Amino acid sequence: MLATLSMNGYCQYSPAPGKQLELGGRPGAAMDRAAASGAPAGGGRPEAGNHRSNARSDGMGMHSGGAIWLSDAPPMRGGGSRSGNARGGGMGGMNMGGGYGGRAMKRLWPRAGNDPQKSSFAREDAQASTEILLVTPSSTPEGEPLPAPAESHTGIAFEVPAQGYYRVYLTTRKLQGKILNVCVAKAEVANFGHGGDEEEQARGMQAPRILESAPIEIVRERQPNEKMFFQLKSGDEQPFVILQKGLPLPSARVRFVSHQGWSREAVSDEQGRVSFQVIRDYFPPWGEFQKRFKATYLVIAEANAAESGNYQGQPYTSVRYQATLSGSYQPSPSDYMSYAWGLGIGLLIFLFSGVAVYLYRRRRVKPFVEVRFDEAK
Amino acid sequence: MKQNNSRLQAVRDAVNRVDLNSFRFWLQLAAFALFVYGGYFAIDLGSRLPLFSCAYNDEGRAAICYLLPLQHQLSQPWPRLFSIASITVITGFLTFVLWFIFLNKGWCGYVCPLGTIQDWITALRRRLGIRYSRYSQSQFAQLTRVKYLLLALMILIPLGIGGGFFSHDMSPPFCLICPARMVLPMFTGDVSQFTIDFSSKTAMIMTAVGISITGLFLVGAFVKKRFFCFFCPMSALHYLISKPALLKLKKDGNKCTRCGDCYRVCDMEIKEIADDVKTVNIMADDCIMCLKCVASCPEEGALKATFAGIPILESTEAGFIKRINKGCSDGK
Amino acid sequence: MENESPKIIPIQPAPYSRSRQAGESQNVLDHIVDDFQDNPASMQYFYDLFRRVYCHGDALQHEGMLVGTTCIQAPEELIYAFGATPMRLCNGSYHYDQRGADFMPAKSCSLVKATLGMLSSETVIPKIGKPDLIVNPTTCDQKKKASAMIEGMGYSVYDLEVPSVKESEASRVYWQRSVRQLAGRLQELTGRKLTRKSLKQAMSKTTRAQAAFRALHNFRRQSPSLILGKDAFLVTNAYFFDDIGRWTTAVEKLNEELAQRAKAGFKAVQSKAPRVLFTGSPPIFPNLKLPLLIEESGGVVVTDETCSSNRMLYDMTAVDEWRVNDMVDSLADKYLKPCTCPIFTRNDDRKRRLLDLVSDFNVDGVVYQAFAGCQVYEMEYRSVAEEFNRAGIPLLYVETDYSTDDKGQLSTRIEAFLESMKNRKKQRA
Ligand code: SF4
Ligand code: SF4
Ligand code: SF4
Repeated sequence: MLATLSMNGYCQYSPAPGKQLELGGRPGAAMDRAAASGAPAGGGRPEAGNHRSNARSDGMGMHSGGAIWLSDAPPMRGGGSRSGNARGGGMGGMNMGGGYGGRAMKRLWPRAGNDPQKSSFAREDAQASTEILLVTPSSTPEGEPLPAPAESHTGIAFEVPAQGYYRVYLTTRKLQGKILNVCVAKAEVANFGHGGDEEEQARGMQAPRILESAPIEIVRERQPNEKMFFQLKSGDEQPFVILQKGLPLPSARVRFVSHQGWSREAVSDEQGRVSFQVIRDYFPPWGEFQKRFKATYLVIAEANAAESGNYQGQPYTSVRYQATLSGSYQPSPSDYMSYAWGLGIGLLIFLFSGVAVYLYRRRRVKPFVEVRFDEAK
Repeated sequence: MKQNNSRLQAVRDAVNRVDLNSFRFWLQLAAFALFVYGGYFAIDLGSRLPLFSCAYNDEGRAAICYLLPLQHQLSQPWPRLFSIASITVITGFLTFVLWFIFLNKGWCGYVCPLGTIQDWITALRRRLGIRYSRYSQSQFAQLTRVKYLLLALMILIPLGIGGGFFSHDMSPPFCLICPARMVLPMFTGDVSQFTIDFSSKTAMIMTAVGISITGLFLVGAFVKKRFFCFFCPMSALHYLISKPALLKLKKDGNKCTRCGDCYRVCDMEIKEIADDVKTVNIMADDCIMCLKCVASCPEEGALKATFAGIPILESTEAGFIKRINKGCSDGK
Repeated sequence: MENESPKIIPIQPAPYSRSRQAGESQNVLDHIVDDFQDNPASMQYFYDLFRRVYCHGDALQHEGMLVGTTCIQAPEELIYAFGATPMRLCNGSYHYDQRGADFMPAKSCSLVKATLGMLSSETVIPKIGKPDLIVNPTTCDQKKKASAMIEGMGYSVYDLEVPSVKESEASRVYWQRSVRQLAGRLQELTGRKLTRKSLKQAMSKTTRAQAAFRALHNFRRQSPSLILGKDAFLVTNAYFFDDIGRWTTAVEKLNEELAQRAKAGFKAVQSKAPRVLFTGSPPIFPNLKLPLLIEESGGVVVTDETCSSNRMLYDMTAVDEWRVNDMVDSLADKYLKPCTCPIFTRNDDRKRRLLDLVSDFNVDGVVYQAFAGCQVYEMEYRSVAEEFNRAGIPLLYVETDYSTDDKGQLSTRIEAFLESMKNRKKQRA
């Protein structure tokens, strides 16, 4: 099942325009900034260094370029969508409303760009080969191939009949000179309904979340005690694991991009693990504040390998792996919930009514209550 | 056969002599543990329960109070609510009715964790030697309607939300002002509900009202027995569907001397329980089926609780005397 | 100095036991004891008690202060809780009735007159001593007016305010407050404090007594009867003045004996003896004229609805919180709510209670005694009669007083009444 989808040549990585605070529009600046700000930069590992120079020398700053990633919203919605009312259509733990019956569908759009809000539709590329896999709660762990969308803005659609996690892997391979670019864009969609079959839900929660055949994959680690209707909040610490064929991949460069395009970079450790704190980047005026504002984050992982082989008859000497994963987060309750006020008001009412009752009772103990009349005019 | 009968009678006599108060205490404690901590043992009885097993007690709850899913369901967009989703609403309600029918308002008197908490607060007050308050009858007559008002709002506001008339920040309206939302999670160490939500004006007002009601709840339950139950919309909903219930509270007016003993002990101040000598099904809308009245009636068979027509607890002279003697020696 | 050596021979007061008053009691008691067969052996305690107290004028001991009461509405648990002893002053003696005529108009209730007569005499029988306080509930008009007269005799009197409506909330609150005020007065009197412990102890005393009474009451359901009504009245009359613990023990003994009788299939009366429910003005020793007449004539009083017996001891108190406040209010409720006294505006409860007793005790007919001058009972007669008429139960209304003059005439009426009941029974069978 091969189809071609383009992301403007190859999977590539470029800083979000307009967010390069220190260094203006220079390519790779965000990455530099992240490195400079003390994120583990992988020490002297040659791959890391290689990659960086590669990336630059390859002229990454292409016009509409950027990583391919899967989003649950098409670009025109402006990326960050309000989903307080819209129960359906959530990623990274959002309920999809499948519990209300009917033929529930889910649609994902491949997008290209390194800034969640500014990424446009990924365009077709004749030179790249694309393959889409869908892993559902009822499918085998190896997944089933999905047809590519006729046009990129129609998105990848699939049915979500069962409760549990649905994962879509969009793998693109493209040879560029002697380098093979392998890019895996992944989306994980939680589909749970209130009051659904509880066994099914339990099974859905326990099912494995890894695709063993994926050349590279980002897995969002679950939070402790994570339940079905999990929602990441800004301020949370969110670990990810980078895997290659199901095995931890150390020293991968991982970048976390917030909804507003702020990014931070780190390198995966021996267990392939890397963790980011989701920053707060939503500051609307009070009247417009929405506590269920659904912001999108994007995680991009990259690694180079000096593997050689043949791809479609052409030899290559090294492989550049790239994985993406997006998800959503909402404002942290501590941004708008106040214990101080809550306890304050509660205590105030408690004391006030307590004293009122006490005084009322004292007054009642007095032996005599006078009868009085209104002086009517 | 005869022997069987006498054995049955012996069992009945023993039951009728039970120390109802301590029986109730232990049963309530067990039910409280089940519904507030059962979740840790992976107990899940669903989300249609006719009692305040609060859903916000995320970790520990063993079931979900029906009022939350009900309000959620009703606040769906109208096109959905009045088509496919109406089936879910109806089946949900039927499941709720099935649970309810079983114990009738006994859910309140014996199972509801919020009811139990109020009884504990009452016990605390009693231990401190502070007397309780009562409403006057005119206050009673007014206040007893509040629960129906709350029930009506609890249905209309979600419908209004679904219809787009109210903000989603009001959803679920009753839960936002229900003291159980704050009090029950506290028992699993979760105090996150004690906050004011400043995200919008509506949310701010609703949470402020909620926390104020919790403050009132604590003071109210301290001076007034079962303070909250008097206003509980669940109680109103119970009463509306109590006809087919299996557990019943019955009275034989001919045997009643109108001594008022039952009224005296009634936490809900239900005067009819003593004064009404005509009605057979004597359960009033405020009743919580604690059956304290049955235990404190000295007249043989004047009050009884029946399950599917079979008497399970009956007022007896011997039982009364046993309990009063116990009270005189070590009553609290 | 003409009379320098006046040899005044002091007039020796005749010993009480030889007085007319003692004679009256003696006659009745002899009648009760000797003219009936098979008296329960454990009744001996009560016969002896009455003989000592009423015929010999022996003194009775009591604990702490003595608080006289003129009505069952005075909460005796409170009196016990203050370490005092209650004594019911309602009297049944014709001798005192005549004495009391000085205070009240001729056409007043014998009971009130006898009580006044007793209190005004030098030798108060039963001889317990002078009450330190008399609690006079403001029930019927005659009792209300007696209050000042008793005070005039040198007693200290406390008017316990009783409402005239039972059902309303206002009266309930008023009465509860009244009872609390009584507790205040008792505290002043005894110098003690009302504590949880003392009130609980007091309540356990009365509960035990009431439980014993109820057991006796239940034995009387048996048909044919195990015990005669005259004995039962004597038992409950003893409660007026006897030590409550001793009284209860004696009743418990009596109950044991009745249990044995029941097992042995004993019959105190013939199987066809008409079973009578006694209601109205209270028979108080020695005025057991009417119950005795009924039982002499072959009937049996199986139960009653009078304040010298059933109404006094039957209703029990339930308490929710065993704290002083709640206990006192509970007691107040128990003294007001179930009371079937005719002084209240409505008498639905009395009618219902009577009908319930009729069906529970398998009653054949009702005898309604009204003391001449007791307006409230006289006035209620009509409605009660109508109720029984509707239920098809024969009722005999007897207006009488403490004198024995009408005995002959009454006996004829009662015989005729019993006869008609017997016939009815036969017809039914
Ligand atoms: S009435 Fe009381 S006991 Fe019953 S559901 Fe409501 S809070 Fe619980
Ligand atoms: S306790 Fe029993 S007898 Fe007394 S009023 Fe209540 S039901 Fe009637
Ligand atoms: S009427 Fe009886 S069962 Fe109902 S609340 Fe009152 S005491 Fe409890």
